[in-house]
Amino acid sequence: MIDLFAWLILGLPLLAAAAITLFTLPDAAKSARLSIGAVLLAFLGSLILWARDATGEPAVTWLALGTGTGGLQIELGLKLDPLSRLMLLVVTGVGSAIHIYSWGYLHADRNRGRYFAGLSLFTFAMLGIVLANNFLMLFIFWELVGVSSYLLIGFWFARPAAAEAAKKAFLTNRLGDFGFLLGIILVWAALGTLSFTELEARLADDPAALGAAASVAGLLIFCGAMGKSAQFPLHVWLPDAMEGPTPVSALIHAATMVAAGVYMLCRVFFVLAVPGSVALELIAWIGGVTALLAALLAVQQNDIKRILAYSTLSQLGYMVLAVGVSGASRDPSVAMYHLTTHAGFKALLFLGAGSVIHALHHEQDIWKMGGLSRRLPITFWTFLLATLALCGVPPLSGFYSKDAILARTLESGHHGLFALATLVAALTTFYMFRLVFVAFTGPAKSQAADHARESPPVMTLPLLALAVPSVLAGFWGIHRVYGAQYGAEPAAAGSWAQQLVEPFAHAPLAAGAGLAAALMGWLGAWAWYRAALQDPLPARFATVARWLRDRLYFDELYERLIGWTQESLARLADGVDRWVIMGVAVKGTHGTFELLGRLLRLAQTGNLQTYAFVLVAGVALLLFLVMAR
Amino acid sequence: MQSLSFIILCPLLAAGLIALVPRNYQVVFRSLALLSTLLSLLGAIRIFAGFDTGSAALQFEEQVAWVDSLGISYHVAVDGINVGLILMGAVVAFAAVCVSREITARQKEYYLLLLLMAGGILGAFASYDLFFFYFFHELALVPTFILIGVWGRGEQRNYATFKITLYLSLGALVALVGLIALYLEAGHQTFNLWSLARQLEADPIDPARQRYLFPLLLFGFGILVSLWPFHTWAPLGYAAAPTAVAMLHAGVLKKFGLYGLIRVAVPLLPAGVQSWAEVLAWLCLGNILYCSLVAMRQKDLNLLLGNSSVAHVGFAFLGIASLTLLGLTGAVVVMVAHGFLAALTFALSGYVRQQTGTVNLDHMGGLLERLPFIGGVLVMAFLAGCGLPGFANFPGEALVLFGAWQGYPGVAILAAWGALILAAVYMLRAVRVLLHGPLPERWGKVADAPHLWHKLPYGLLLAALLLFGCWPRLLTDKIQPCVADIVRRAEAPPANSAAGLARIALPPAAAPALARPGATDGLTASRHPR
Repeated sequence: MIDLFAWLILGLPLLAAAAITLFTLPDAAKSARLSIGAVLLAFLGSLILWARDATGEPAVTWLALGTGTGGLQIELGLKLDPLSRLMLLVVTGVGSAIHIYSWGYLHADRNRGRYFAGLSLFTFAMLGIVLANNFLMLFIFWELVGVSSYLLIGFWFARPAAAEAAKKAFLTNRLGDFGFLLGIILVWAALGTLSFTELEARLADDPAALGAAASVAGLLIFCGAMGKSAQFPLHVWLPDAMEGPTPVSALIHAATMVAAGVYMLCRVFFVLAVPGSVALELIAWIGGVTALLAALLAVQQNDIKRILAYSTLSQLGYMVLAVGVSGASRDPSVAMYHLTTHAGFKALLFLGAGSVIHALHHEQDIWKMGGLSRRLPITFWTFLLATLALCGVPPLSGFYSKDAILARTLESGHHGLFALATLVAALTTFYMFRLVFVAFTGPAKSQAADHARESPPVMTLPLLALAVPSVLAGFWGIHRVYGAQYGAEPAAAGSWAQQLVEPFAHAPLAAGAGLAAALMGWLGAWAWYRAALQDPLPARFATVARWLRDRLYFDELYERLIGWTQESLARLADGVDRWVIMGVAVKGTHGTFELLGRLLRLAQTGNLQTYAFVLVAGVALLLFLVMAR
Repeated sequence: MQSLSFIILCPLLAAGLIALVPRNYQVVFRSLALLSTLLSLLGAIRIFAGFDTGSAALQFEEQVAWVDSLGISYHVAVDGINVGLILMGAVVAFAAVCVSREITARQKEYYLLLLLMAGGILGAFASYDLFFFYFFHELALVPTFILIGVWGRGEQRNYATFKITLYLSLGALVALVGLIALYLEAGHQTFNLWSLARQLEADPIDPARQRYLFPLLLFGFGILVSLWPFHTWAPLGYAAAPTAVAMLHAGVLKKFGLYGLIRVAVPLLPAGVQSWAEVLAWLCLGNILYCSLVAMRQKDLNLLLGNSSVAHVGFAFLGIASLTLLGLTGAVVVMVAHGFLAALTFALSGYVRQQTGTVNLDHMGGLLERLPFIGGVLVMAFLAGCGLPGFANFPGEALVLFGAWQGYPGVAILAAWGALILAAVYMLRAVRVLLHGPLPERWGKVADAPHLWHKLPYGLLLAALLLFGCWPRLLTDKIQPCVADIVRRAEAPPANSAAGLARIALPPAAAPALARPGATDGLTASRHPR
């Protein structure tokens, strides 16, 4: 029974996608009903699995070749454990809100059928990642998430910017997947299996089984996460991906695609945390650098969605950092904790931004907004709530999860990273309140902002629904659920009041530092942006502001690099093909024979006298040779 | 109907009938062609479905003695390796006839030759007699040249016909010399592959001779499959060929060379393949990396597809070179998958060309707006081409990479780069410039495939890619026992060998010029007295 539910959760979105593609593509309403129905049923199924504490590993054999270490046995299997159960809830729960919201957001688009097919395919792929029970299955769904994001980001394919962004997202992800696949092959070559259960058991028996390959394998696998979770240096695709419809941004950037990287790291943590591997240390630093870099870039963006995109990057940096510093405790559950709370409030922020954009007829520049708090009250209050959660203000969910990461960083002795993470917390509050002050308070800065109207209930209800976990997720004991996955002692659940002050009792320094940083950031934003009509920073720090606005020129750098290396190689190969192989070698052979033919033709004149002369000359020559001997 | 001869003879008999029908019964030619390939397809499906999975034995065997003194007989059968190829060939043949709607001139000759080609291909894959194996291939090959020469398109048609004829005839000739030499060296007075295999296992050819015989087959068959650097005929030829011919040749006929390597060269010449595997492994990078890079620079969609097709067969070569169970199984899966894929992409590009009159990527853009069905299938085909899971190419290429990792990790890494990155670069670029972006006004009249019947061939090929992509065991479970047998032979030291024979020996002096530097590094030179 449990197995059936698990298969249904995975299968329903796929069925919806297939049915829409094959039958209901032109009919928007039917397609939407199928797609929304599938994700709601999947949510229901996830709730049932959750309520029943379902565990198990239903599987069918997908590929079976050979035996022993040289063989390859791949199952299509679903791993049900605390980690996947809670993640299922996150994906289908946030996903449901976004599916419903999409119906309102895209009510005027005539290609909604295609949109909902893409959305369902995306949900299917993401659920596959959550449930996969072996590395190759994970990789397969990994790629499917990549391709469905390609289809969704490029939904408005007639716009060159969207088409380019989709391509960039897919290729950047592919770069990460290249490392990921090699890592998978390496693990298989060393341990002879790809099943998570077997790998974990084998590594528990013999932690040194990976041998010298441990660090390399860990880092290669991390490459996959680097692509999907947009970690530095593969972070460039994520801001561009904002070209997709806003609900897609919410789905990709809150609960699903980018979270997949962190989820994968937690899923295969046992491979990363083997003794002698330096992978985790490097992962921690890459996470930290990404968090800081993205927070800095967010400070000077003016597009509401791009600010949120960089904030996502920055928060993902936190999660990756959390995975990296969890080596000693062998328990990366704090990363999953933050992932879960973040999924709720970040989806809320994106959908709120979508509501603003919708109300302003696709205006995305925050300097053309202003005064929206009065015109869009539901959007404003939910957006503010999510902002506070993101900034880590107690008692909202973000406070608890972010504090857990800060505390873990400090406990593990990474003092440099702790300072960095605290700085990022200050920056987060600064750029988020810059956004809130400029867009929602003060005078309206454009006609559109002056005439804005609140969005319809089909869009505001999901906002309200998502506000609930943004507030309450900190009290729910999520970290204990994830902790159970990694064999942590189940601490006794305290009362609400105890839960409320738990961070201060547990790690007062981290909690205090986090709060102080948030306050500093808020003060900065209040001082500069409370009533600003234009950004004061470019006037004060012209160069820095320009660099930050132009994203530190990473895109340009990469373009050059690719131009110098791969493109030059392609030009070279094309030239060799055209001129050396097809030209010199093939045409040369052809020419040689042709020349020989032409030369021989000179002898074949058809002139009888010439033939007679050659004949006589030949006879004379032969006679001479015979006589002379 | 559940008979291999039925599958082969349907198109051939229909070709004979067409020859007898007067020229003005145009409708008959196409109907006959459709009917016969459809019957072939149904037969192939029945054989595929009725195949006893898990057995390495020959099934659906039919044998008629022909020239006893030379040991030639008509002997057709299937095992795990060719059962998928025959199904693929039958599907592609039917789809190719379906899309031949565009041909209006000299329909009688066109369909006659096309059916000869289809029947020849299926015969070549089904034959267990070296003589008929080769004969059926030539039966398919010769019409190819005529079809390209007469019904071809583009300015370079004549040059392309000339080039493809010379190249493929040369390849076939070298392979023929190799096959005859093999027959003579074996000295068992039989062309029958099954008995040759059994007899040569007990009494193998002298390893030193194997090392001279193998390159004849490797490069002979290799030219037929556009092994680098003998690949330049392929993109040019496919760009000039009529749609159906490009589909049949790139999809099916080209696989004959790979099939020959797996069926004849590797099992019968184990010592030969051991000494040449490394050369082949590095040569196939020429296909995978180099041709992908070339494809990145193409402005003509057909040249891009042609180069990509050359790049994809590189994986089959790599799988063969790996000489592992995973690699060889992967190679066969790649052959089947690429057959469907190449046919599908050329069919779609033919449709686009028919609608727009050009396949120059510089003039394209935004076509997805006008072609939701064709464009959608094209996007899926391109994604299949960059190895997306869900399509049959993924399990094939993944298995090849897993298999190649054991022997050639360096090659496997570079091949993975070609599969995951380079393929994605040129495929997505094609989607971007062909289908995405604003729609230029001049394409306002471009029309999508109107109804189900017109959509059928594309849908059929796509469905096959998806079926074997989602459920690769349909193929791998059948392939595995046969490939395990081949791997066992290639690994086992020759029965009468001295200790040195098992070691890898330097290839003969004539060939290393073709090998990449480094290919022969570290090999022990051990020549054997003749």
